[in-house]
Amino acid sequence: MSEPVVTEGDLAEMAEQVWVSYLDPEGISPLVPHGDVKQLSEVHSTVSITGSWHGHLVFASSQNAARKAAAAFLAMEPDEVAQEDISDVLGELANIVGGNVKAMLPAGCFLSLPTVVLAPDTASYYPAAERISGLYGIWDGEPVSISMWQSVKAEASA
Amino acid sequence: MKILIADDSRVMRQIVTRTLRQAGFGDHDLVEAADGQQAFDNAVAEKPDLVISDWNMPEMTGIEVLRKLRAAGNDVKFGFVTSECTPEMQQAAEAAGSAFFIVKPFTAERFDEVFSPILG
Repeated sequence: MSEPVVTEGDLAEMAEQVWVSYLDPEGISPLVPHGDVKQLSEVHSTVSITGSWHGHLVFASSQNAARKAAAAFLAMEPDEVAQEDISDVLGELANIVGGNVKAMLPAGCFLSLPTVVLAPDTASYYPAAERISGLYGIWDGEPVSISMWQSVKAEASA
Repeated sequence: MKILIADDSRVMRQIVTRTLRQAGFGDHDLVEAADGQQAFDNAVAEKPDLVISDWNMPEMTGIEVLRKLRAAGNDVKFGFVTSECTPEMQQAAEAAGSAFFIVKPFTAERFDEVFSPILG
């Protein structure tokens, strides 16, 4: 099988930028990959890509990780963060990584607005799409993952 | 100066605000818009000196807002802060009259580099 259009290494580079910029600016608690694709999540967000490439970018994590991410984005304490902020940040995380992913795809792609689901990533089913790469790791003791799903049909016709 | 920040994410509007402050531009008047239509409406009604806009927003995208403003004869300084950064988007932005293109995630240093010539 040829290398996916966006590899785990690419996702790791994008994640590092997000962590350095917003989630871990002091460099004390980076996302540490472990590669366990069966890692459980409690919340997730998705942006869909259409046009010259079809698929989805999924950000998934525990509820605690999402709360900590929202706190870091807002420069607040985790217990001060509202549910609305958590959803907002989850969507923005998928949007930021999705936007950077888009730059690696063929010209002529479109990015959807994010969809946020406050349930495990297994709660969303992507028909006719398969995971082509993923970054699975632990951030500050909490599970976080970023995965790329490509439409099987688009891949077959590519 | 008055700055309009347009992004459908409230959290991202706060981060743009905070980053402006960190980059030393905390003394300006800030107004916000939560979607493309509001961005257009506020760009007309509030008469900002600068519009910092997301690209992908409900109602109207940022580039549509810019094109609509220019079509209406509005020459407000306008640029993008967006996670999307393909060469064709940058070209489209420039062709429409965009003054800058900042890619998310961004830093205070990047804001300083882009906004120092504009905000002084």
